[in-house]
Amino acid sequence: MSREIENMHTPQSTTPQGPIVQLRGLHKSFGQTEVLHGIDLDIQRGEHVVLFGPSGSGKSTVLRSINLLEDPTKGSLKVDGVEYGPGLAGETGVTRGTKLQLRRKVGMVFQQFNLFPHLCALDNVALPQRKAQGKSKSDAREHAAEALRKVGLLERAGHYPSELSGGQQQRVAIARALALDPDVILFDEPTSALDPELVGEVLKSMREVAETGMTIVVVTHEFGFAREIGDLNVFMEDGRIVESGPRGFYDNCTTDRAKEFLKAVK
Amino acid sequence: MSLLDFDWGLIWENRQALINGMWTALSVSTVALVISTVVGLLLAVLRNGPKAVSWIAVVYINVFRGVPALVSVIWVYFGLSLVLGISFSVFQAGVIALSMLYSAFLAEIFRSALTAVPHGHTEAGWALGMRTSQIFFSVTLPQAIKIALPNIGSMYIGMVKDTSTFTVIGLLEVVRVTQNLVATTFQPFVLYTAAAIIYVIAAFAIDLIFRLVEGVYVRPPKALLGRAIRARQRRTIEKIVASTKANSLATAQLFVK
Repeated sequence: MSREIENMHTPQSTTPQGPIVQLRGLHKSFGQTEVLHGIDLDIQRGEHVVLFGPSGSGKSTVLRSINLLEDPTKGSLKVDGVEYGPGLAGETGVTRGTKLQLRRKVGMVFQQFNLFPHLCALDNVALPQRKAQGKSKSDAREHAAEALRKVGLLERAGHYPSELSGGQQQRVAIARALALDPDVILFDEPTSALDPELVGEVLKSMREVAETGMTIVVVTHEFGFAREIGDLNVFMEDGRIVESGPRGFYDNCTTDRAKEFLKAVK
Repeated sequence: MSLLDFDWGLIWENRQALINGMWTALSVSTVALVISTVVGLLLAVLRNGPKAVSWIAVVYINVFRGVPALVSVIWVYFGLSLVLGISFSVFQAGVIALSMLYSAFLAEIFRSALTAVPHGHTEAGWALGMRTSQIFFSVTLPQAIKIALPNIGSMYIGMVKDTSTFTVIGLLEVVRVTQNLVATTFQPFVLYTAAAIIYVIAAFAIDLIFRLVEGVYVRPPKALLGRAIRARQRRTIEKIVASTKANSLATAQLFVK
């Protein structure tokens, strides 16, 4: 039932049709070592994408490439019409956007929360709005309070990160990303650093974000959650996409490697 | 000869001269501290920067950390003034000499403090669409200052003590004052004891001030001063929270109707 509602939801779109995020032949090397060997991935508006695979498979690097925390070595990526990267071999005549332009379309939530410890929860959410969007302090704070309310932490607005539990810190981080009205939100193993009993509240907030029709890309080891939200499920290994599929993928994958991996983590 | 045979009353009689000497020492040190903080921070950023420029900071830091204050002030007062054709006052020469040396020390303090702020905070700033400069001033620097404060306090105490060498260029600081008094009273033991005491008192005072300032940077605010400074922010936040709550309640009721 809830799945139907989710699928019926059509997010408002101001840009032409086509994928909101597009990776084309994305390569990434650190020094001599190439860790991504050409990733092609289209993500549609409102789609919920799960990236999974063994550690070192490059799933986090793909995620970090989408907001350019990693610079692509070859290939390109495009978010909401803004293209970045050296492009495919022999490609010319593409207008490239700036890093900042692209990043301002993408929100991100980290495994380690990365809240700013010298600011209270409210100002953690308000600061990027002031700096990246040029909002006034009072506007930013009002908007921040609304974002905190959405993750159920309005009462904690004046608390500093050190006074919050890991789960609460992560929910503030979600509010912080959400308050910038991004086109896509990336979650990099958002529950991996949490005590088991705090995982639920963070997944609940993520589920609520998903239900608003936000485009989401998540790297996670929470397969229960992945089954539930994944419209597109991508299995990676050794810097390549091995296999991907729609809902039900976890029971219907075809490659031996994906089957083996899913069996091992079950 | 027992301790009571000395004329300890001299200290009280000359208290004003000694206090004036400390005042001079503190003035020179304070001006130099402000200059070295700014220059030190710039050097630290340069040092952490690309290799093409970081070597400048490395050379500066390694040269000036090694020069004693006494040598430095003579070099400035009798050398640099000749080369530049400017005759510095003893006060100016003292400030320049201290700033040159302590910029190097503070650069190292700031470098380690900036490095101690987790890189993840910078990445978060980038991911949130902030410019690197905005991240530096709003995220990294406030955290680095808190880390650096105790060491800056120690440096300040070191500066005050180093002004004692400026007696060679005739700056009327504590040691110079003491020497002058000894020349007329022939009581070096009494007067140098007084000098030592006044330095120790100054060090305690500086330590106290830096502890207070440090308290302001503690999160959540704990010390009285920190709480007082944050009180207004707390009220503003409470107001925003209350109005947001009221708004959401009103919207919810609208839907019920």
